[in-house]
Amino acid sequence: MKALISKIIYFAAVMTALLISSGASAQVVRVAVAANLQPVIKVLQQDFKKRTGITIEPVSAASGTLATQIRNGAPFDIFMSADTELPKALFKDGFAANAPVVYAQGILILCSRHKVSLKKWWEILLSDKVTRFAIANPAVAPYGKAAEAALKRQGVYDKLKSKMVVGESIGQVNTYISTDAVNAGFTTLAFFRENSSKIPLVGWTIPDNTYPPIEQGMILLKRAEDNAAAIKFYKYIFTAEAKKLIVKYGYHVL
Amino acid sequence: MDLTPIWLTLKLAGITTLVLLVAGLPLAWWLSGRRSFVKIIVEALITMPLVLPPSVLGFYLLLAFSPSKGLGKWLYQTFDVQFVFSFKGLVIASLIYSLPFMISPVKSALQQLPLSLSQASYTLGKSKWQTFWHVLLPNIKPSLFTAAVLTFAHTLGEFGVVLMIGGNIPGVTRVASIAVYDAVEQLDYTAANNYSLVLFAITFVMVTGVFIYNKYHAKSPLE
Repeated sequence: MKALISKIIYFAAVMTALLISSGASAQVVRVAVAANLQPVIKVLQQDFKKRTGITIEPVSAASGTLATQIRNGAPFDIFMSADTELPKALFKDGFAANAPVVYAQGILILCSRHKVSLKKWWEILLSDKVTRFAIANPAVAPYGKAAEAALKRQGVYDKLKSKMVVGESIGQVNTYISTDAVNAGFTTLAFFRENSSKIPLVGWTIPDNTYPPIEQGMILLKRAEDNAAAIKFYKYIFTAEAKKLIVKYGYHVL
Repeated sequence: MDLTPIWLTLKLAGITTLVLLVAGLPLAWWLSGRRSFVKIIVEALITMPLVLPPSVLGFYLLLAFSPSKGLGKWLYQTFDVQFVFSFKGLVIASLIYSLPFMISPVKSALQQLPLSLSQASYTLGKSKWQTFWHVLLPNIKPSLFTAAVLTFAHTLGEFGVVLMIGGNIPGVTRVASIAVYDAVEQLDYTAANNYSLVLFAITFVMVTGVFIYNKYHAKSPLE
């Protein structure tokens, strides 16, 4: 038993040392990115690394979730939101070093794995072919909010409510669409562009004037105020090279 | 495959198991003694993570440790420690989350030991602690083994609590279960499958190991 106890103490000491040492890892820029940016952030990250040698660590979730995490002390340097309201509120409450700047404008589409011959997006949802469709949670995901607005504007929201599956973020909606768990879903043009070569996807653009513009804002967070690498990445997003990539992946830039 | 999430998971489970082995055994011993109202309440609280949704535990820990108010603010301002979105926070959460897996098997094993065992030890002049370490614990080795393995395996599967108070920070709080979730969200099913297979294999080996060990050493399979 004595041997066992000393073994336990030895392991505990080793583990404690490891636990303490884990805090001192190399400096990387941690970017909280809205789930809709997942396809494009990977290319931006690679391009930026090639140009500057700086490593970016993207963490993605629904924008609302990320904003809550930032309020509760999450160690992010930059927040790339899917809207401007959340970063604006963070700036107002002293979490950000600057007021949000719009870096991209999102394009909402309805997407399905099934070939449907109907032309109008809402007719597809109303048809018997669609028994379930997904939208991101409007409370935390701006693309969900836009989809909800478009459905209401078209006057079909109440009729379709029973077919609606609410995903926790746009990422979850994308999972539902690609695994065929739903017949259709509201997602981003970026998702369509990224995946239509791998899986058979059909997309219908939702007219811009049926939902409030999805202006995606970015802020530098307070803790990164003096972080040169973070500032460099922030500025990079507004360069012509980065803009080209953002447009290529299905966004408008201003 | 990026192995960091696997390593983080094993580290978290390892630390949790070791801390609970040291702190949980005396607690199990205390609980195994004569029943009192206080003990019933304490045991109920310890057992609750078994049935409570992990998001509830995560939510309260988030409130408690948020650096903007209360205890979390005090810890942050006084000691400059922040538990939310840090590995330390995950350790604290796991200790609570996995506590019943350490306590229950040890407690029931201690209760099943004949009373005469400790009485004989006292008669021979041994103190309470000496009796505990040298007489009682060696007699419940199979249960200790089961408790440690189950605690470890259970911590591997932690998800809800981590997502709440740990988030999804690479190299810090992105444990394997979160990495699976993240990979699925990014439609990277190859990565999701790799992480899942590793977790599946580790868990399978551990749980099977417990059953095989117990087949030869214990009286009941989950002792």
